Amino acid sequence: MSEFFTRMGDGSGIYMTAAEIREDILKGVKEAADHGKIPDLTQEEMDYLFDIITMPGNIVGVERGREVVSTSDSGSCKMTYHANIAMERSMAVMVSEKVLGADSIDIGNMDYSYKAVKQIVHNETPVMELAQLNAVIPVLYGSMPNLGLYTKPDGPVENWSELLPLAKIDEACAAQEEAVEHAVRDMVFVAGEMYEAGADGINLDTCGASGDADFLAGLLATEKIKEKYPDLGVEIGAAGEFVLGMHGKLEYDGTRIAGLYPHKQVKLTEKAGANIFGAVVNTNTNKTFPWNIARTVTFVKACVEAAEIPVHVNVGMGVGGISMSEIPPIDVVTRADKALIEIGKADGL
Amino acid sequence: MSLESILNDAKQAILDIDEDKAVEVARQAIAEGIDPVKVLADGFSVGIRTIGDLFSRGEIFMPELILSAQAMKAAVAVLDESLVGEAAEKIGKMIFATVEGDVHDIGKGIAIALIQTQGVEVIDLGRDVPVDKIIEEAETHGAKVIGTSALLTTTMPNQEKLEIELRKRGLREKYKTIIGGAPCTQRWADKIGADAYAEDAAEGVNKVLELMKH
Repeated sequence: MSEFFTRMGDGSGIYMTAAEIREDILKGVKEAADHGKIPDLTQEEMDYLFDIITMPGNIVGVERGREVVSTSDSGSCKMTYHANIAMERSMAVMVSEKVLGADSIDIGNMDYSYKAVKQIVHNETPVMELAQLNAVIPVLYGSMPNLGLYTKPDGPVENWSELLPLAKIDEACAAQEEAVEHAVRDMVFVAGEMYEAGADGINLDTCGASGDADFLAGLLATEKIKEKYPDLGVEIGAAGEFVLGMHGKLEYDGTRIAGLYPHKQVKLTEKAGANIFGAVVNTNTNKTFPWNIARTVTFVKACVEAAEIPVHVNVGMGVGGISMSEIPPIDVVTRADKALIEIGKADGL
Repeated sequence: MSLESILNDAKQAILDIDEDKAVEVARQAIAEGIDPVKVLADGFSVGIRTIGDLFSRGEIFMPELILSAQAMKAAVAVLDESLVGEAAEKIGKMIFATVEGDVHDIGKGIAIALIQTQGVEVIDLGRDVPVDKIIEEAETHGAKVIGTSALLTTTMPNQEKLEIELRKRGLREKYKTIIGGAPCTQRWADKIGADAYAEDAAEGVNKVLELMKH
């Protein structure tokens, strides 16, 4: 019986039979449909996904005319810390544009959080100005809301990670609500400084990493940014396939945020006024690539169908069907990209 | 009341996050002479595992998870009173840490909250904990199990370092080790020689209880 090379979610290589791959595709689709309460992929789509996974060649690509644009999070840092090429960030923007063909990129600080950045924003704006002088592509500024940084001892707010295990629920919720106010203020401040420096947009990356309050902070900051700087683009990137309920009762526009899957996350993102939504589906390291990509595509397809703004799917280490490994393997990366674009109908990556 | 009803009520009390009801069911089980271990394993634990599953699906949230764990803890305390000698042998101490270089501890916190409800005493060393400190604390507290969490591929090697250090110091057979965290897998556990791997908090509870038996 012939077998096909593929990988586990941790990147290790495995061989699977056609029947095993088809079975895992079906299981991945069913898992996403069950958790997200969304439709399955069609049989035709699952067959095509099988074709993509089993295509000969290490690298696969989308059909001509199906190309999509790319955005990135902290893109200008990655040549330095992934490739070990020491490079000033505005130069990395130029390399990304002129050598790698990036369609847009963001500049981010190594301390990738708005709270950390606000104190050094005077050092960040010249980098943005220089990049804007030289680049043709849109250059955004990116960071995370990172609500945890507002808790004691790093910040002014009580630490809900300590309060929750003590069953001090009300206190933990109040602390999160207070942290939202601080985070929104910092995000709007940095967005304003970057607007003045010529930024084309602001990337609120990994919203929800600290739970539903973190996601709410991203939404409220977007509202204020769009109100003050209507022509500054806003990208909201998610942190996972559902919003973790650290608070559990927070709402935005009458909708509870905790537990929302991508097809509902994107609707709140739209309401807040964002221009791009970065959908995230986490990779399960214990499952195969066929399982992970089938699950991811099912979530993404439902998200794109629901969306009225472009959806740029996160496809990096540990998300978007990509394996959780230091260097994501090119066979997995290109197959995930092709599947997300051609079946999931992603607007960008 | 039948055994089936007691078990169902025990499960439901946890699902309803009703601490008073959980305590009442535990007392009733004892009054009716039902094996407390059975009530725990087939009643309350079924409830807490269901809660864990709902949490992992985004259908219930951290406050509910914590409160249901509290309800479970209260019920376990009642059942513990009726377990003499036998219970003391079943329950042991566990060291739990996020390995050095890694500051992620939300998942660890969830796992600890659930494991504690099963009567295991968990010593939480927090995050970014060096291997030396983990071993030192395990020795000090007389732990049976050492659990480590890593959320980064760059910090996973510290789980392997723990295994190596335990072997170097002739302590490997003294402890059972369990690992977890997003990038970890059963294959990683096998490769480094850990005794168990848990994919999530609910599985962690069962695995730790199993390790405690050895």
